[in-house]
Amino acid sequence: MPPELDQPSSQPAGTLYQPGRLDQEPAAPDTVRCVMADVMEAMFFTEAEPTACEHAWLGGARCARIRFGGSHFGEMLLGVSAEAADPIGASFLGLDPMELTEAQRSQVIQELANILCGAILSKLWPESKLALSSPKLSRWEEWPDVEALHHCFAIPEGLIGVSIRLTAALDSPAAGPPSDRPLAA
Amino acid sequence: MAYSVLIVDDSPVMRSFIRRVLNISGFELGECTEAGNGIEALAQLSAHRVDVILTDINMPGMNGEELMLRLSADGTLKTTPAVVISTDATNERIVRMIELGAKGYMAKPFTPEKLRDELERVLGDRDAARA
Amino acid sequence: MALTSLVVGMSDCKVTRDADAVLVTYALGSCIAVAMHDPLTKVSGMLHYMLPESAIDSRKAEQNPFMFADTGIPRLIDELRAAGGDGKRMVVRLTGGAQVLDSRGVFQIGKRNYLAARKILWKAGILVAAEAVGGEVSRTIRLEVGSGRLWVREGGGIERELVRSNGAKGRNDNE
Repeated sequence: MPPELDQPSSQPAGTLYQPGRLDQEPAAPDTVRCVMADVMEAMFFTEAEPTACEHAWLGGARCARIRFGGSHFGEMLLGVSAEAADPIGASFLGLDPMELTEAQRSQVIQELANILCGAILSKLWPESKLALSSPKLSRWEEWPDVEALHHCFAIPEGLIGVSIRLTAALDSPAAGPPSDRPLAA
Repeated sequence: MAYSVLIVDDSPVMRSFIRRVLNISGFELGECTEAGNGIEALAQLSAHRVDVILTDINMPGMNGEELMLRLSADGTLKTTPAVVISTDATNERIVRMIELGAKGYMAKPFTPEKLRDELERVLGDRDAARA
Repeated sequence: MALTSLVVGMSDCKVTRDADAVLVTYALGSCIAVAMHDPLTKVSGMLHYMLPESAIDSRKAEQNPFMFADTGIPRLIDELRAAGGDGKRMVVRLTGGAQVLDSRGVFQIGKRNYLAARKILWKAGILVAAEAVGGEVSRTIRLEVGSGRLWVREGGGIERELVRSNGAKGRNDNE
């Protein structure tokens, strides 16, 4: 696991960069929308439009979770609707949907989570330190935290849901017992 | 002349995406090998030379920054051009990787054509330096 | 020597290896023109399609595969190969895909047409050399078969050659 995901940022006191909060970032919703559009168009050749949140479909979605650290600590959850997973996997790899293996289906969702998380955080906080864990397959969770950011998107192939939230640093007293920590490398 | 390439990324599908771009870019592609992290990459490089290394940053085991540090400290390997391919586009990381000797930096997302253009630039620079 | 103008209409496709020919298509709004040229054999083709997916009207796609990206582009590639063109050597350029209020009253179809072309070409193992897409202008293009050069006129503007820039794609994006 990247050491930056265990320790708070090692920036000395008095440096200019201050960690932000998602709910206080007016740019955060637009950043998520722009990055989603850019990612889906550039590497998946499809168009993502923001859509109203109706979450019944997320129970059967293919999901991946990715944790981040450095200047900010937190996690991102990605859900791709069951009917969209094969077409977008096939688009990414230049294959027919029938040619996808089960491993490829999962790996594409994990890589999409990786790309989205890094691109969103880099755009939101370009002067920060950033480290990402390996994305893990997951189930969808609803995060009612006021600080969590959530958006749903429609693509021609189906639906995508993204949630991002900041959490306490792992070894801070506020973190509580570790849960779902990535395995040490 | 045929170029040999080492792709270093912990995502098998990202390695497939990159390999596909290499195959269809019109370069004369020789051997294209893959590694899942910096440790595997160094093992590969100790066995055979390559003309360009394409490396991710966030990987378990040994990440791309540590790999670049090792490459820059190796008298032979430090001359092999490396291009970073990463979702991390923070300024500090980009500067750090360039300081460690990266010849290019592709921030995801990018189109296949953009990757092709970057590879043409890096390989062209390398050929010009050798001429 | 006078050049022979071969006009590609809407939902149309032409392939030739006549080095004295020029492939031309007009009034590209939300439609996409896919222009391909083999620099060695001069085999060249141009497709002008209107919609991304044939599933919306498979009967129409049977009558005219060139109306849709997913039936037209594979046909274009097949016809180029049959005429002696090599997929690996093809120089491919995309034009059109503007966000215009067309006869259907649809704004977004330009971008969908463009993404459809990129997806199908990626699956076919073909990268795009240059593009002039997006914006809100109508475009007219001509491909010189002998030289492989492609010229674009946007709106009422002057004609300019579509080339790859250093590291960029010769893209004219007014978005």
